[in-house]
Amino acid sequence: MKETENTFLTLINQHKAIIHKISKMYMNDAEEQRDLFQEIVFQLWKAYPSFKGNSKFTTWMYRVCLNTAIICFKKESRKVDKTPYDGNIDIIDVNENEGKEEKLAYLYTAVQELNAIEKALIFLFLENQSHREIAENLGISEVNARVKLNRTKEKLQFIIKKNGYEF
Amino acid sequence: MNFDNLKNEWNAENPAESNISSDMLKINQAHTPIDKIRAKMKHEFFYQLFFLVFMAIIPHIFGFSALINRVFLMTYSTTCGFTAYYFFKFYIFYKNSYNLSMDTRKNILWFYYEMKLNIELYKALTYIVAFISVGFLNAFVFIEKASIFSKILNKLSPVYILLNCFVTILIIGAITELWAWFYYGKYLKQVKKVIDELDSE
Repeated sequence: MKETENTFLTLINQHKAIIHKISKMYMNDAEEQRDLFQEIVFQLWKAYPSFKGNSKFTTWMYRVCLNTAIICFKKESRKVDKTPYDGNIDIIDVNENEGKEEKLAYLYTAVQELNAIEKALIFLFLENQSHREIAENLGISEVNARVKLNRTKEKLQFIIKKNGYEF
Repeated sequence: MNFDNLKNEWNAENPAESNISSDMLKINQAHTPIDKIRAKMKHEFFYQLFFLVFMAIIPHIFGFSALINRVFLMTYSTTCGFTAYYFFKFYIFYKNSYNLSMDTRKNILWFYYEMKLNIELYKALTYIVAFISVGFLNAFVFIEKASIFSKILNKLSPVYILLNCFVTILIIGAITELWAWFYYGKYLKQVKKVIDELDSE
């Protein structure tokens, strides 16, 4: 048991960035991010016996992490500004000189306006998953995955613009 | 917006988080909607147990006659039987583990139907207990207060009596549905929303 636990902890620590990124995408509040992080780790540990090594560890991990994040709802629905873009917004061009972290911070802010499935689509896309892999993870057809992803990317661009940024 | 650049930056991001320790694997309670429903059902089990113990001393409190005592015993044993049956089902639901490594659609549908099924079982138990109680109250009135009750019944038209029965059923139904919705419905609604998001074309 101890050996299994150690193997699991080694694997999970190698890929903890996945859990961290998903927590940041699905929760806006720092405390809720911590709670989700902990919940994901717990669910991964609970599901670990189901990992038979037939697929890559990260593939299995994506599923458990995303399914946990999708099913664990925010404690209360915080109101996110969803005012439609009216074209009269000063756009700040976040160019190459600006910090990469800042760019990602804008991204994390923008994804808060996406729904749970759209967040999963964007996450898997950013993790270099193909349309087929995205479809397999979400249990939808490849065509549907492609259409949904394109729409979500457009929506995300729109939100980022609406928030006054461009990169 | 250049998604390829964003991808590179995303993949280069390495959050400076401390290592995950074995302590994090030892939390007592998961917080998925199904775990929340299970925790609430566990509480309800104890309330129901308390209710059954309280029910057992009702004849002593009200000093029932021998005849009513027999009717009460039938009511009590039927209530205990149904409660035991349904709580056994809830126990299976409580112990049934889930696997989050399925694809999202399978996973979310499993959650939805498992929750829906158990909420329906919960409502069925509430209906059964409510109707058994109404049945006992009727028997009590017919046996103990027969003379007064028959006088009242003679004065009432059959339509009025039927209407009363209908309203009683309606009130029991409304309370059960509203209570189940208030107590468990919000979780079901949240999960249904995700299914709709997944199904939207």
